[in-house]
Amino acid sequence: MADPGVTPMASALEVSGVSKSFRRGRETLPVLVDISLRVENGEFVSIVGPSGGGKSTLFHIVGGLLAADQGTVRVGGQDAAGRRGLIGYMPQQPALLPWRTIEDNVVLAREIAGEPRRGSSALAREWLAKAGLDGFASAYPHTLSGGMQQRVAFLRALLSDHELLLLDEPFSALDAILRVDMHRWLLDIWEENRRSILFITHNVEEALLLSSTVYVFTGRPATVLERVEVPFARPRSDEVLDDPEFIRLKRRLTHLLKHDARQAR
Amino acid sequence: MAETRIRRWVPPLVAVVLILTAWQLFTVLSGIDRWLLPSPADIVAAGGADRLSLAGHTLATVRLTLLGFAAGVATGLLVAVVLHVVPVVRAAVYPLLVVSQNIPTIALAPLLVVWLGFGVLPKVIVIVLVCFFPVAVATLDGLARTDPVTANYLRMSGANRRQLFTKLEFPNALPAVFSGLKIAATYSVFGAIISEWLGSDQGIGRYMIIQKSAFRADRMFVSIAIVVLVSLLIFGAVVLLERILVRGRPRRDAHG
Ligand SMILES: Nc1ncnc2c1ncn2[C@@H]1O[C@H](COP(=O)(O)OP(=O)(O)O)[C@@H](O)[C@H]1O
Ligand SMILES: [Mg+2]
Repeated sequence: MADPGVTPMASALEVSGVSKSFRRGRETLPVLVDISLRVENGEFVSIVGPSGGGKSTLFHIVGGLLAADQGTVRVGGQDAAGRRGLIGYMPQQPALLPWRTIEDNVVLAREIAGEPRRGSSALAREWLAKAGLDGFASAYPHTLSGGMQQRVAFLRALLSDHELLLLDEPFSALDAILRVDMHRWLLDIWEENRRSILFITHNVEEALLLSSTVYVFTGRPATVLERVEVPFARPRSDEVLDDPEFIRLKRRLTHLLKHDARQAR
Repeated sequence: MAETRIRRWVPPLVAVVLILTAWQLFTVLSGIDRWLLPSPADIVAAGGADRLSLAGHTLATVRLTLLGFAAGVATGLLVAVVLHVVPVVRAAVYPLLVVSQNIPTIALAPLLVVWLGFGVLPKVIVIVLVCFFPVAVATLDGLARTDPVTANYLRMSGANRRQLFTKLEFPNALPAVFSGLKIAATYSVFGAIISEWLGSDQGIGRYMIIQKSAFRADRMFVSIAIVVLVSLLIFGAVVLLERILVRGRPRRDAHG
């Protein structure tokens, strides 16, 4: 943050005009076309879009794993093109290391960044307790349920100490009931420390419940179909789900996605 | 846990006892010449009578085996890591490596003696030649089977090449490395015996050559028993090390 070229007001993430195609033999497969979006500091933003559209590819570009063909990515005001290690990331599968205990998994991102071990360990135990995972610090991942593994993967991203967290469909593999629990859990943790989050999902309700801004993506190649502001106050309770405005927004977004899917065919 | 382990050990143990009993009965009842097929009791007696000389030979073989095994494993791991980290080298060398395994290593052993004499070096090289390949192939295979999602996670979190290797690829390959080590462990004893056959003044291989000339089948069987025992011990040590080092994975075998 002490970087002189960075104004304190810079957005956590600013994606402008990003396009990306993959080459498959002689053919090119356009995946992202002119994507622009922004995550302000402390904001929870979601991307909703059909599977296979290119959402994970956008994360890979923001995370420096892939280079965009066009456009710029700024993380905390800095040019992030091709730069890794600037964000906290939670992939679509938990991707925990099976030979590490939960505690050692949670500190992995800090370890990569070269943080001293002792401080990380204390922090890990503190957060495991807050996340309802006390008693599992020295367990191995395969002994945990799917939902617990997702929580561990989330804590690993959270503890990476980056302002911006990229969460890629973290709950898509969970059943509906567990998913509701996880929403509550995520909101509670987020309210407590207000990181900037960019959250991918193909579930409209999930996006509306969690975020202040929702970007609706089209199917492949993905473009931004619409940017929707979600007006409900925070901290949000589950009653929001019954709010007429919520239902109206949900209908509209669902309609947008369906309509787009029909067009694609 | 302890109970299932015992249950697993009982059947093979019973089988061994049955085979030895049948063997003993056969030699007694058929009246076959002792120099042709000694009974298990004869073999034990022969081993006991020659124990001092056997101890020295066994020690020499164990020492050679461990030296060769260590060198072979180190070579195998080194080859695997280099081929994995430098894909160009892998593309060039891997096919050669596989083809090279069609050369019976044992056929190279006399050549090594011609070049390097009867010292310990040619013997160690023979063992390295039989050992390194299973280790290298298993390790390469394990390194290549890294989960791409996890690898991407580490890269996006800022891991450099070295961190990717030490924190993900190598620990992920460890179970595969151990399956290579188990094969190499048995090969190494076999390699040691062969190299002792070719020219040595000590070791179980040397002892076998002497007993062959003397038509002492009983002592040949003693040697074989010792070779099997040494193999099992080294194999057991590898399994023990595996238990200690490979952690926190669901065991694939259902009866585990
Ligand atoms: N590295 C790659 N090389 C080639 N094609 C890819 C690559 N990564 C993703 N794709 C393709 O890009 C499209 C979008 O994938 P992805 O970003 O994973 O979609 P989403 O996350 O929205 O489900 C898919 O058709 C996928 O097959
Ligand atoms: Mg995806």
